[in-house]
Amino acid sequence: MAISKEAYQALEAIVGKEYISSDPVICEGYRSGPGGYECGLGYERVMTKIPGCVIMPRTTAEVQKIVKACNRYKVPYVPYSTGWYGPRSHCHVDDELLVDLKRMDDFEIDEKHLYATVQSGVIYSQLQEEAMKRGCYIIVGGGGSQCSAIANMLGDGWSPLSYRIGLPHRRILGTELVLPDGELVKMGSLATGEDDFWGEGPGPDLRGLLRGFTGLRGCLGIVTKMAIKLLPFQPERLVPTGISPHTTLELPVKRVKWINFTMPSKDSMKKAMFEMAKAEIGGGATKVPIFWRAIAKANCKEEFWDIWSQENEESIASFHLLRVLLIAFTSEEQMDYEEKILNEIITELGGEARRTRPSDESWFKNADSAGMWLMCGSYVSVDYVIETLEHSIPHGENYAELKKKFTPPLMPDYGDPGWFQSFELGHQGYSEFLVYWDPDVDTDGVDFFYLETSKENIRKRFYTSLLGPHQPLYLTGPAYGPNYHTWLLKVKDEFDPYFLCHPPVPLAHDAFVEKAEWMRPMKDWESPEIKHSS
Amino acid sequence: MLKGKLKLDVTNLDNFEYDMSKCIKCKGCTWVDHIYMPGMTFSTRCPSATRYLFDSYGAYGKMRIGTAMLEGRMDYSDELLKILYACTLCGACDVGCKRNLDLEIELTLEALRIKAVKDGKGPMPQHKKLAQNIAEKHNRFGSPHANRNNWLPKDVKPAEKADVLYFVGCSAAYTSPEIAQATAKILKASGTPFMLMPDEWCCGNILYSVGMFDEAQALAKRNVEEVRKTGAKTLLLSCAEGYRMWKVDYPKLLDIATDDLGFKVVHLVEFVDELIKKKALKLKKKVDLKLTYHDSCSLSRLSEPWTPWEGERGEWGMVSPRLERRRGENGVYQTPRDILQAIPGVELVEMIRMKENAFCCGAGRGTKEAFPDFASWAAKERLEEVKAIRAKAIVSTCPWCKENFTQVLSKEGENVKVLDISEIILAAI
Repeated sequence: MAISKEAYQALEAIVGKEYISSDPVICEGYRSGPGGYECGLGYERVMTKIPGCVIMPRTTAEVQKIVKACNRYKVPYVPYSTGWYGPRSHCHVDDELLVDLKRMDDFEIDEKHLYATVQSGVIYSQLQEEAMKRGCYIIVGGGGSQCSAIANMLGDGWSPLSYRIGLPHRRILGTELVLPDGELVKMGSLATGEDDFWGEGPGPDLRGLLRGFTGLRGCLGIVTKMAIKLLPFQPERLVPTGISPHTTLELPVKRVKWINFTMPSKDSMKKAMFEMAKAEIGGGATKVPIFWRAIAKANCKEEFWDIWSQENEESIASFHLLRVLLIAFTSEEQMDYEEKILNEIITELGGEARRTRPSDESWFKNADSAGMWLMCGSYVSVDYVIETLEHSIPHGENYAELKKKFTPPLMPDYGDPGWFQSFELGHQGYSEFLVYWDPDVDTDGVDFFYLETSKENIRKRFYTSLLGPHQPLYLTGPAYGPNYHTWLLKVKDEFDPYFLCHPPVPLAHDAFVEKAEWMRPMKDWESPEIKHSS
Repeated sequence: MLKGKLKLDVTNLDNFEYDMSKCIKCKGCTWVDHIYMPGMTFSTRCPSATRYLFDSYGAYGKMRIGTAMLEGRMDYSDELLKILYACTLCGACDVGCKRNLDLEIELTLEALRIKAVKDGKGPMPQHKKLAQNIAEKHNRFGSPHANRNNWLPKDVKPAEKADVLYFVGCSAAYTSPEIAQATAKILKASGTPFMLMPDEWCCGNILYSVGMFDEAQALAKRNVEEVRKTGAKTLLLSCAEGYRMWKVDYPKLLDIATDDLGFKVVHLVEFVDELIKKKALKLKKKVDLKLTYHDSCSLSRLSEPWTPWEGERGEWGMVSPRLERRRGENGVYQTPRDILQAIPGVELVEMIRMKENAFCCGAGRGTKEAFPDFASWAAKERLEEVKAIRAKAIVSTCPWCKENFTQVLSKEGENVKVLDISEIILAAI
């Protein structure tokens, strides 16, 4: 597999021969699976290919030239920053060019106006540390510390620290996007000058086009530069300590504190989140999936299962853990005040504080990160929804019930309804349903469950974040549109007439259902023949 | 083998199929641990991925390539051999992976090289020359075997018989005699009788590192037997690479536990630490120097003892019996720092990447011989950190590190001293 000689030569002239290769062993390194997010499932096996060629540009101008060359020679291509997002960020068709953006690592910070301008190769972990050196912080999204800040801001960009912030669209400021035909679009204040300090620009807000709700997985071009809002933090340093694997941030407890509470019910957790929001206290409030506690306690996979195997439906149903983060942004007195209010709320609702370590392994620098794979060697979030708290709880409960039909191959979680939390001080409720399975057994059931959740959302009228790029567009589009799919495809056609940018996204899951024989019986919706998928 | 019987045996790549197939491309192997991430500079810990950039040079690429080799989908090529060998096997990826995933990355990389040799494709031509030197002259340089003890200072006389046996190693015997001399003088100053091996041969570190398992195993058998014959209770090394070879790789080659060697393997810093605690050695002389300490990979994250393991992998990837994973947590990190800080006048400043996050000097495991430019690049990258913290000297515990840093600095004309810790200790007593 390789791209044509003429196309290769044109591309090589752009970056130099050190930064391009079609050597099979170089291309094999860019294979998606079988490990990783959603990997080893049908989608990864059926839909992903190794690239025909890999190129590593350094500048936006080089990216533009590469994209124009792809249009000239009709070479399909996919932008790739770190590759952690699993099969959906990898090549899907033969002889595809993978544009590896890791050399694009320019970084600038404007301390006065609190924003950082990054290229695609900059990861969250780097950005967070640079922010913290300056008394600020960012939200390290669920993708984790080592994912590209730009890629995650386009796709997800939230974590429990989104309690005060919510979705990332308001933290995306001036942005540069190379369209699928090579034209450069500058968004926000970049549209009228060189200063990227502001997100909105003249005309329609193009961030919606670029990001949608949870991103389009690179099928509408390549973002090469983004200014990201930094948030003011409290002044004391979180101190790194320990030797790997037991590394952690020691928290300055008069300024930053986690407190775990056992609550009498899910309803009381929800009420606590609302009451905290009304009082405008807290830096995070999240219902913890119980198995995360077992991960945190276990020293290895085997020990996790020792701990987890002691649980049952009853123990899970009766255990409600609310994890609250307090950040004294302004003064130590703020901590005293917020802790007092919080304790009053919790006491009134019948909750009880548990001993909590004065450290943070996950949320400030890591998000959920790679620990999710410890238990089974596999993981995917089948849905994540940002709607209301009222919505998020039954969403998880429904999924937990539905999941029972597909367990095994899914990991037994004894009816745990996943993770929910409060965003934007209670104005938004977040629900995420994470599943795990043994990747070395027949995993078709996981593929069925994944698609069935989409149907469940439609049946039960739940909102979903996983539209086009993650579920069949012709299933979800009519249900959520009624013309969501037609508009999305019109936009795609307009910007990418040759369908070269990461084909067949946004129709990739449609193509998967067509191609995977075992999925076909599940297809009960109408769709035209899916092109651009081989 | 994804499930079923399994052994931590590097001679069969099948044993690592699970590990290769479960890499999630989080790239924790390449980046500095997120907790210690310093920001935009000095943010990676994998020399190979940092230098060559393509994913195939990171552990995540190598795991995918290894899977393809196992499944017969990948032919050998120059590029494939470069990917396998332009790697310092420094263990940074292994500790990074074991932060979360507990995959056996280091063993897999070793198994890939052993497979390449078995398949008649490895090692690199430069390694074959070294192997020939070792076979013929018992040292990797091809120098006369008769010169092996030429390093011995006139005022130091090893004992005929002693509890402590100092294994000098090729580097300190031939190219860095100042390390062997300092070590011998430290032992003398502390009143520790020590002996040398009656006929010391190369430890075979290079042979094992490049995948020449059978040749390395033969040397391991011979050397361990020779030490056992002497009745030594402690085998002392001043070379981190040799320390790892004796403590970890010999047991691996002989399918025994480190504890079953019949003698204790210690590095000079561990020995000196004990001497200081017993008040047998006092660091009294002032050494006015602002220095930094470079964690040699083989003394730090690669040095945990070896225990053979055999069992089964079952549901959810669990193994049984329980496996005590080597995660680098119990490497020798603090001891050399304690020693340096105990020396009057020494100002120890830490580099940005330290302990398990340290950036390898680039010399070891066959890298410098086959890819000298890469080895020099890695050393330069590390020396940039020394400059960033304005240290006047860099101290390590391995002649390989010292030699590589020294060669780069002599070319660059930088005014930074490179010292082995034995030299600093000697200067302080």
